[in-house]
Amino acid sequence: MVHNYVGLYFLLFIWMFSVSGLVLNHPQWTAAQFWKVRDEQTTIRSIRPAIGTGDIALAEDLMHQLGITGEVNETKRNSGNAQFDFQVVKPGKVVRVQAHLDSARASVTEIRLNGWGVLDALHKFTGVKMDDPTRTRDWILTRVWSLSMDALALGLAALVLSGLYLWYRRPGTRLAGLAGLAALIAGVACCAFFVYGLGTLLR
Amino acid sequence: MIPRAWRRWARSLHLYIGLFVSPFVLLYAVSAVQLNHSFMPWGGRAATPSPSRTVRVVVVDSGNSLDVAARIRQQLGLRGEIGFVGRKPGSQRMNFPIETPGRTTSVRVDLATGLATLDEKETGVWDALIYQHRMPGPHNAKIRGNWVFTRLWGWLADATVYAVLFLTASGLFLWTAIRTERRMGLIALGAGLVTFMAMLIALVA
Repeated sequence: MVHNYVGLYFLLFIWMFSVSGLVLNHPQWTAAQFWKVRDEQTTIRSIRPAIGTGDIALAEDLMHQLGITGEVNETKRNSGNAQFDFQVVKPGKVVRVQAHLDSARASVTEIRLNGWGVLDALHKFTGVKMDDPTRTRDWILTRVWSLSMDALALGLAALVLSGLYLWYRRPGTRLAGLAGLAALIAGVACCAFFVYGLGTLLR
Repeated sequence: MIPRAWRRWARSLHLYIGLFVSPFVLLYAVSAVQLNHSFMPWGGRAATPSPSRTVRVVVVDSGNSLDVAARIRQQLGLRGEIGFVGRKPGSQRMNFPIETPGRTTSVRVDLATGLATLDEKETGVWDALIYQHRMPGPHNAKIRGNWVFTRLWGWLADATVYAVLFLTASGLFLWTAIRTERRMGLIALGAGLVTFMAMLIALVA
């Protein structure tokens, strides 16, 4: 029952990560060319003097003023703090803001991506980076999505373990049991070779 | 009415393909958690490299940086994927990493003198999981797969996806045959659909 219900609950998540993973591994595919066909528009907007002190607080204040929502991705201060640049991302949309704090104006570039761009972003939308452990998630929906990624990982582990249990308990012939064992051993050996063996055996 | 033989075949294929692919699914699941919690000490890239060593290599500059890097890799007797090749136009200096899951060697070469400096780093099993999760990936597509095992892994990664898609399709097919689990299954399927769509709309809107 666990195997069935967990599988059914996570079905769409599994399909989404499977298809987007496949496209990520084939950047030459038409589906992966979503960045080339992006829709990009830049507008100049007025801003009030921002009250935030840190980069994230300042970005959040400006986002509130400009009506932008999403995860703050990058921040940069230029020209002696007179210009503050930041990028806000959400699946399918990237907003680049160049805030000229001295002249109270902001250049807002909005980039919209197609459905494949949304899938690509969903696959990687964690709000954190491996090469920057100090980075934290600042948008509640990024936290919710990353939580769902953890839940899916747990769900997949549950599917694997319950599948192994079902196979172990399955009545059948000795030949069928041996075939299952051979499939499992082949999978484990193959996976172990590519994760551990390549770095240690092939020196 | 679906013939019983079809269900038997679907069940057998679901079982054997599932058993083979289960370690790969676990690999992606564990590494996804790692990627999602990058603040935790997974080790790896921050590891201290072993002392640098310098090796003399004989290099004919063909102008194709990947080709040059691949020949240097061969002379150094190292195996692995050349992650990228860093070289400014007209420069005699180039650098590139030779990567395998769990180990990376940074190579800096002066083509004029033929001296290559190597910094080797053991990045460990946790990093190997993340490395394989991201391989081959969308970056540096023009040079990706310059090592035979990266190409093989790329095929395995694709095969894993196709296998998982087959498992979900065959799982759905097998579930429809179990009358007693239809109602609860529909509730689980519906709950998953609602959760997914709600998140998608909230994130994209």
